[in-house]
Amino acid sequence: MNRILISVLATSLSVTILAGTAIAHHSFSAEFDIDRPVELTGRVIEMKWSNPHAWIYIEVEDETGNVVNWALETRGANGLIRSGWRKEDLPTGTILKIEGWQARNGSPTANISTVTFDDGRRLFAGPNPRARQR
Amino acid sequence: MRFYSVIALAFVVGSASAQTLPRTPEGRPNLQGIWQVANRASYNLEDHVARNAMPAGRSIVEGGTIPYQPWAASERQVNFENRSTADPLNNCFLPGTPRVMYMDWPFHIFQTDEHVAITFEWQQVHRLIYTNGQPPLYGGIESWMGNSRGRWEGDMLVVEITDHNDQTWFDAAGNFHSSALRVTERYHMRDGDTIDYEATIEDPNVFTRPWTIRMAFYRQAGMDRILEYQCQAEKEEANGAFERDVRNWYPAAVPVDNEPFDADAGVELPLPEASEDIPRLRDGTPDISGYFMADAGGANYGLEEHERDFLLPASRGQVIDPPEGRLPYQTWARSELNDRLRPHRGYDDPTAHCFVGGVPRSHYVPAPFYILQPPGYVVVLHERMSWRQISLDGRPPLPDQLRLWMGDSIGRWEGDTLVVESKNFNGKAWLNEAGDVVSHMQTVVETFTPVSPTQIVYRATVADPIPYTRPWTIEMPFNRAEDELLEVACLEDNGDLQILKDVRDEYRSSLNPEE
Repeated sequence: MNRILISVLATSLSVTILAGTAIAHHSFSAEFDIDRPVELTGRVIEMKWSNPHAWIYIEVEDETGNVVNWALETRGANGLIRSGWRKEDLPTGTILKIEGWQARNGSPTANISTVTFDDGRRLFAGPNPRARQR
Repeated sequence: MRFYSVIALAFVVGSASAQTLPRTPEGRPNLQGIWQVANRASYNLEDHVARNAMPAGRSIVEGGTIPYQPWAASERQVNFENRSTADPLNNCFLPGTPRVMYMDWPFHIFQTDEHVAITFEWQQVHRLIYTNGQPPLYGGIESWMGNSRGRWEGDMLVVEITDHNDQTWFDAAGNFHSSALRVTERYHMRDGDTIDYEATIEDPNVFTRPWTIRMAFYRQAGMDRILEYQCQAEKEEANGAFERDVRNWYPAAVPVDNEPFDADAGVELPLPEASEDIPRLRDGTPDISGYFMADAGGANYGLEEHERDFLLPASRGQVIDPPEGRLPYQTWARSELNDRLRPHRGYDDPTAHCFVGGVPRSHYVPAPFYILQPPGYVVVLHERMSWRQISLDGRPPLPDQLRLWMGDSIGRWEGDTLVVESKNFNGKAWLNEAGDVVSHMQTVVETFTPVSPTQIVYRATVADPIPYTRPWTIEMPFNRAEDELLEVACLEDNGDLQILKDVRDEYRSSLNPEE
């Protein structure tokens, strides 16, 4: 197994914001901390296809070998469904690389700005390229 | 001989009621109106004795009992014993179908030749039942209320409900199902004031065979509109989790040091020109029904133009009056807006608690809505589970003391523009995540002008003498699409609220370090 790393960056990330971040029912600025950008690589435990936000739960091993479960907030299920994404697109065990910001209360919760598979493909950014074949 | 007389009498009575049923222009029984059950089914579908907060009642299940598989009968017993905490309704979750039909709250059926819509007083739940044969766009997507497709079989409305999740119960006694649930409802008007309703439940994972419940819905003739019961909001106000804002909530008064409110200060805004090639209803009224999404340009993040600020998205600015695009705030209310932008105030936004958005916000939150035009109404079903019933019959407004999150809306057509006047707000809503301020004194005049077959230009003029010095107006297009509503069951996973509460509590502790 590849070593899965967490690095909490000290400086601001330069990342593209998912359009879907705007699918909000509460203030993201109030909930997440601009001074706590995070970059995580981890294994998907579960995705909850809920509204108004969906959640990806991943397990992340830090440099000392501790495994931390992170809750990652993404667009609501309805927006993902309308873009052609379905539950089977994110099976348990998938390795994801995530950039975002950690919650202000310091819990292992983050708002996602980008999600990529280990082959570099972007998850949930725009329409699902495979949706038409379904 | 007597037997044949009874048959003959039944036939005559049956024919008479069939002839006198209220009917739509298409000749179908007209179910439109306000209805409610008069039974104890919501406590327990089966025969049951009285218990604390549960009146006794008779079974409405055909044959008396629900045919559970043995393991499921045990599971139901566990549910029953834990019902005071385990009933999904205790968390204000969506009740599912058919439970919502026999809860002890009124509901309003609206009927067009393509849909039957049902709006419920409880938590502003709604159902949209397609009766036009349109196949589901999102088959297989599970939801709390399921996917309802209907058809008319003679005078009987038959509705098939599929794609339920496994989270809802049939009653408060723990009767339950799996996600394999399939419900077939039958609505048959016995007479103008009674609907005979039955629902056949199939779930091979839980039951040994299909089973049926039967009951009547009675017309609530004394009721001209259903009101609101916002379960979660009432709960959080009662337990203190959502705090009263004495400056804005009913019955707050205009602050004594406010600048005078100039009700006539608005600029003249000619209405947008309605298109001539818009679809029309049979009576010539513009047909504005269908699925719409606002091109809101960030209105949900602030009505004044601003750049993106970290995770608060930009807004292009929707204010067209005052012409410079700034909201005419009283000084204290501008300070309040600036305060609401601070992280510890994120918790105070009602929609962060999954409460409804109010008016006009519900139209420009990032979620679609469906407009229906049954006789006498324009009905709006919001995907974020709330509804507006805009009456067109010139009825008197509600008395002043009846206050609602969504207000009381009365509409009329002026040419091809729908004009809606709303008041009786409770003052609890925010206008967006930025915290643009509104109070219970707001009146909203909205115009819906169809400028093309696929676009409505929407305006809302808000007059509110508590936070503002004069009325103001916003404008944005609503775009029609060939799409269907899904369901936002906001409370199903609102983990954000705890984080927002932690941020608020930490801020409060920092102000009072000794506590």
